[in-house]
Amino acid sequence: MIDILISDPTLRDGNHAVSHQLSAKQVAIYCEAANKAKVPIVEVGHGNGLGASSLQVGIALESDKVLLETARKNLSNSKLGIHVIPGFATIKRDLQLAIDIGVDVIRVASHCSEADITQRHISYAREKGKEVYGVLMMSHMVSATLLVEEAKKMELYGAEGIIIMDSAGAYLPNSVTEKISALTSSLNIPVGFHAHNNLGLAIANSITALEAGATILDGTARGFGAGAGNAQLEVLVAVLNKLGYNTNIDFYKILDASEIAELEIMQNIPVIKSESIVSGLAGVFSGFSKQVKRLAKEFNVDQRDIYFALGEKKVVAGQEDIIIEVVMEILKKDKHE
Amino acid sequence: MNSLSNSTFIQQDCERSCTDVELLRPLSNKNILITGGTGFIGKWISEMIIYLNKQFGFNTKIYLLARDIETFKSEYPTISKNVNIFFIEQDVKYISELPSDINYVVNAACSPDSREHVSQPLKTIDTILKGTSAVLETSYRLPDLENILHVSSNYIYGNVTKLNQKNIFESDLGVMECNSIHSAYGEAKRMAETLCSIYRNQHRLPITIVRPFAFIGPYQKLDKPWAVNSFIREALIGGNIRILGNENNVRSYMYGSDMAYWMLRILSVEYTGEIYNVGSDEAISILELSKLITKLFNRNIEVTSRYTKDNHNKIHSLVPDISKAKSLDLTNTFSLNESLARTIKWNQLFNNVYS
Repeated sequence: MIDILISDPTLRDGNHAVSHQLSAKQVAIYCEAANKAKVPIVEVGHGNGLGASSLQVGIALESDKVLLETARKNLSNSKLGIHVIPGFATIKRDLQLAIDIGVDVIRVASHCSEADITQRHISYAREKGKEVYGVLMMSHMVSATLLVEEAKKMELYGAEGIIIMDSAGAYLPNSVTEKISALTSSLNIPVGFHAHNNLGLAIANSITALEAGATILDGTARGFGAGAGNAQLEVLVAVLNKLGYNTNIDFYKILDASEIAELEIMQNIPVIKSESIVSGLAGVFSGFSKQVKRLAKEFNVDQRDIYFALGEKKVVAGQEDIIIEVVMEILKKDKHE
Repeated sequence: MNSLSNSTFIQQDCERSCTDVELLRPLSNKNILITGGTGFIGKWISEMIIYLNKQFGFNTKIYLLARDIETFKSEYPTISKNVNIFFIEQDVKYISELPSDINYVVNAACSPDSREHVSQPLKTIDTILKGTSAVLETSYRLPDLENILHVSSNYIYGNVTKLNQKNIFESDLGVMECNSIHSAYGEAKRMAETLCSIYRNQHRLPITIVRPFAFIGPYQKLDKPWAVNSFIREALIGGNIRILGNENNVRSYMYGSDMAYWMLRILSVEYTGEIYNVGSDEAISILELSKLITKLFNRNIEVTSRYTKDNHNKIHSLVPDISKAKSLDLTNTFSLNESLARTIKWNQLFNNVYS
């Protein structure tokens, strides 16, 4: 039986779905439930990770310190994980604090073509003895060859596994196979996949990733995450059990945890809305959805036009300020027509 | 209370490695320049010369050339305050004039840290090629030059796994994927060897090349992402050992003072123009290495492995054949177990991070 490592970012990616307004109480409730289910890694924090609370990507309700300390108190079976994007998170101000609080797993992320920026953060976390992974976001945007080159950099920096993110929910299964196969045949360390559900393929793509050699998967309760959400964790566990993979997660208890999550932390259960389908097709980061929706309403522009224009510009997370530029360009174009 | 000083610890190592002082006698009353002088190789050669000067009256002078001398001086006062050690603060790429009393040159500039090679590939290539070129061109004008020891790398061997043999000979050459950012260091090191051959042929410069393999010992920073460094670091900070990649891969490790003695012996050989592997031929799998390290600590240390299934059957071996060095009466005086024990002890006693 093959062991699959499951990481659960319900309390991190899910924070995107509520504009980073998860409270300490909600974190405590879900951590307790996930801990009972023996979820291997529970990821906690602002949607864009440690140190990201800002006007640009959204002010979080709680500080990193409060979120992590609360999670730490409620996790004993599960490891406490964080998502770290260098630029948002500094080593001295943020990473050191998180390590002092007692995080177990540090996932250092960059845009898929910019692994260079992760060197210092990965090295620092390894020096402190932490379990460290490299994460390549928006991985649909580059070729398998480039993805391998960037992943190999992270491996050299000291990453213990590489996770590629389908941040836009844009992958089709054949692309998952191509990229995961390229990574597993080139790297010496385990490979993982983080799915989004914009095209309704999150579970299918996750399983495709396993069949191509991945051994790490991300999933969230009820799929709670940015845009159309992630691979639905309880479904993922059920499917993995049926396929004969081992996750060490208690199935009944993860079903209970997802019920609790639905009741206690979700304003809305993620569904694949029309704009999510469009953003998936356009290959735009799911975390943009709130701002696109707000600006579309404010300027009376069709969201779908915004997504396709953003896709053409190949925008990435952190470039939220381009959304307004795109809106202005659409207005200008409409005026001329 | 520890009464052993860092200086005594290191000098004990030098004494053991220095198996035949007379073989190094050509270096007495001579002056040696080391580029990249503040790195692992520079520190250990300096320590060996300090030992030879003190115990055997060699009266050898060392010039350490590096970009950041001040930090080095504050971190390594025993070396920097020695009366026979002098500093030249300069980027190796831009040297155009050197003290005219230099007799020997050790060209060891450029970090072997693979993280830097992929993050800053252009800088890596620049340092190796422009640096080597500047060293050779400037050395050409030294009136009393006797030999240049060019420190190349085992990276130049490329992928030798396909050669299907146990240890790597100096004559072996594996393939290297030139169309890859990950080949920046290896390809530049190959080109630097070609530069050496050009200067040797066209300018009759005396040049000997060494190809270092893996080293361990005091002065090696444990933050480097290499297996042995990571294992020792994790064990020292109270954690468990995580093997990343294939646990069956095979490596070997040479102790720092042995390396210094070898470098100086090869530097002082009468006939230049040769190439020597510098390393240990005591091969060990990564898994066995981790177990060896756990036995050196008085606690239970868990060892786990993480790897991709695809590459688990491909065993990569990186162990030098050292018969050529043995012909110069060179041996590894420290066994692997002793090297590891000594490295751990030094870090516990003298490295503030782990003591």
